[in-house]
Amino acid sequence: MIPMEYFLILAAILFVIGAYGVLTKSNAIVVLMCIELMLNAANINFVTFAAFNYDIAGQAFVIMSISVAAAEVAVGIAILLNAYKLRKTTELDDAKLTSMRW
Amino acid sequence: MIAEFTWLIPFIPMMCFLMIGIFGRKTPEKGGYIAIAGALLSFLIALAISIEYLGSDEFANGIAIESSIRWFEIGDYTLNLGYYVDGLTCVMMLFSSFISTLIFIYSIGYMHDQGERKNRYYAEVSLFLTGMLGLIVSSNFLELFIFWEVMGLCSYLLIGFWSFRHDNGDEASANAASAAKKAFLVTRMGDVCLMGGLFIFLNLFHSLDYSAMFESVEAVAAANPGLFTLALCLMFGGVIGKSAQFPLHDWLPDAMAGPTTVSSLIHAATMVKAGVYLVARGFPLYVQDVNVMLFVAIIGGITAFIAATMALNNMNIKKVLAYSTISQLGYMILSLGAGGYLWALGYEELGALGFFAGCFHMMNHAFFKALLFMGSGSVIHGCGTEDMRLMGGLFKKMKITATTMLFGCLAIAGIPIFSGFWSKDLVIDTAMNAFNNGADGAAIWFLILWLLAVITAFMTAFYMFRMWFMTFMGEPRENAQHCHGESPKTMTTPLIILAGFALVSGLFMFFGLTDMLAFEGEAIDGVEHGIELFTNPFTYMTIILAILGIGIAYMMYVKKTMDPGKFNKNGESWLYIALTKRWWFPDLYNQISWKLGYGVAKGVNYIDRQIVDGTVNGLSSAVVGGGDVMSKVQTGHVQDYSSVVLFGVSVLSVLILVTFALLGGF
Repeated sequence: MIPMEYFLILAAILFVIGAYGVLTKSNAIVVLMCIELMLNAANINFVTFAAFNYDIAGQAFVIMSISVAAAEVAVGIAILLNAYKLRKTTELDDAKLTSMRW
Repeated sequence: MIAEFTWLIPFIPMMCFLMIGIFGRKTPEKGGYIAIAGALLSFLIALAISIEYLGSDEFANGIAIESSIRWFEIGDYTLNLGYYVDGLTCVMMLFSSFISTLIFIYSIGYMHDQGERKNRYYAEVSLFLTGMLGLIVSSNFLELFIFWEVMGLCSYLLIGFWSFRHDNGDEASANAASAAKKAFLVTRMGDVCLMGGLFIFLNLFHSLDYSAMFESVEAVAAANPGLFTLALCLMFGGVIGKSAQFPLHDWLPDAMAGPTTVSSLIHAATMVKAGVYLVARGFPLYVQDVNVMLFVAIIGGITAFIAATMALNNMNIKKVLAYSTISQLGYMILSLGAGGYLWALGYEELGALGFFAGCFHMMNHAFFKALLFMGSGSVIHGCGTEDMRLMGGLFKKMKITATTMLFGCLAIAGIPIFSGFWSKDLVIDTAMNAFNNGADGAAIWFLILWLLAVITAFMTAFYMFRMWFMTFMGEPRENAQHCHGESPKTMTTPLIILAGFALVSGLFMFFGLTDMLAFEGEAIDGVEHGIELFTNPFTYMTIILAILGIGIAYMMYVKKTMDPGKFNKNGESWLYIALTKRWWFPDLYNQISWKLGYGVAKGVNYIDRQIVDGTVNGLSSAVVGGGDVMSKVQTGHVQDYSSVVLFGVSVLSVLILVTFALLGGF
């Protein structure tokens, strides 16, 4: 049996990769993908604990979490598409996008 | 008990006001008949109530019929609404509603060609009547003050009735708007004083009901003499404003810019009578303080004299009448002041005589002044000018108007049998009594006031007949030549009725009026005092002076044997200029309002803009600036935000871990 730590370490690595991507990448689509990575890291944690504790609730949560993530991505992509239509860019540090703040 | 329906007296004109305002346009004369019906109905109810009250036990015992409902209460201050009927109320409401009815009838003829604007006119005069009648029947000073203000508003609206003719060059109506503003603002000064006085009274008495105040007045006046005197003076300030007493008298001549019927209403039946009524109503309060009564008398005497001088050389028929009104109001105030002074010194019968003389003169004046104003309105209607230099010789064309106005002039000049004679000589008599019985220092004042009153009587006879002769006798001048004859019947009928009253209303004192105008049950004997007038040498003196005044006017303006130009150096003597400049009172008002009012306004403006607004603006710009600075934190870079979030979460996690570790692990 694979020890529990392996799963948790995988999740941690995935989360850190995601966080790194969110903070450093300038392309908004990549940032969104990184957010998905972080979410999935959390999902792995859920599944892991569910499996090791013989508790089905964790798996149910994951289903929920995945569907919410899907909805969130749909909204995010929709915003991005509109921003792209208006400003012709998806670069986050482009002045055309940062000028949307105030 | 029909007295229970006293509230209907002001209520009916109020309903008329609403009816005329809402659908008066659709009725004939744009609501004029509704106004007449309302005033007449009020008069009939007042008559019924008076008859009932005069037959009741209350009247025999000298107490008032009174009823109030509680309006509101603040702590132990109770404020009521109600009615209060005594002899004074009866006299006031009878002549007010009666004369108003006649004026409204007259308006049908006088305002006939005013078109749609008549609707507004009739609505406003109905509200005006509401104000006066409400003021008369109210049972406490707060209620009185409310109706007092209603009248102030209506006088403003009606004096400015012709403000649309603003710039047509007609001197008399050129500036109706500014006259209305002047009337409103000047009376407002008095009203603020009155309000201040009422605040003090409420504080002292814990109630403003007449009955409650009159009961406890002696104890309260003894407990707080300073405050009480101050409140009386402030209350008299309201009278000075409303009844156009010196030094706030100057709005009344300007108020002539309104329609003549309105002048008649203001001068005879309502408005300026309210001030005198307030003194008469508050008489039990006033007599507590001798010095205030002396002050009141002095103001009245000065007013009577100054106003009479200004009427001497005025060329505007309405302004002469306006000054005569101020002068006669001065007589009333003088009489009340002198009577109250005597009462306060303990001469109860003489005091009651002064009270009676003042109220009696108010009633007589209402009849003959309404007559004179409506007569002048008839003249103006006929020849289209107010300038007496353009009239003359109208007697042949307007026989009824001329004769009735002659009655009015004889009454105001104080020729025996006519009403003005009786009351005016009682007033002069009262001033003499006060001189004879007054305390050392004050008595000399009453001698001066008596002299002023006598001289005023002479001047009154002169200027009234100057007006009459210039208008109706001599050569027909410019406008008089194309005068189109006598006014319609709606206008002459009220004149004839009022002429009858100007002739006989003075005789009422022999038929029980003295009982109605008794003060605190102290009724004077009308017959005795009427006869006494003819045993008094001073009475003959005033009669001779009055006849002398008429004679001089006759020689100057009919016979032309005496040239007025000789006395005024053809209009260049300083006195003549002073009189045409109205003793510089308008200039004084302007100076005060420019120098003082404008100065204060500038100071207030500075405080408001710099300090008050400055604080508010400073606060808001500080907030805006701070917001501007802080908004720079929002870089717009999503990554900046998320790194801050991540940083915060990391710090929190570490903190939690450390805390748990320190507390002894998991």
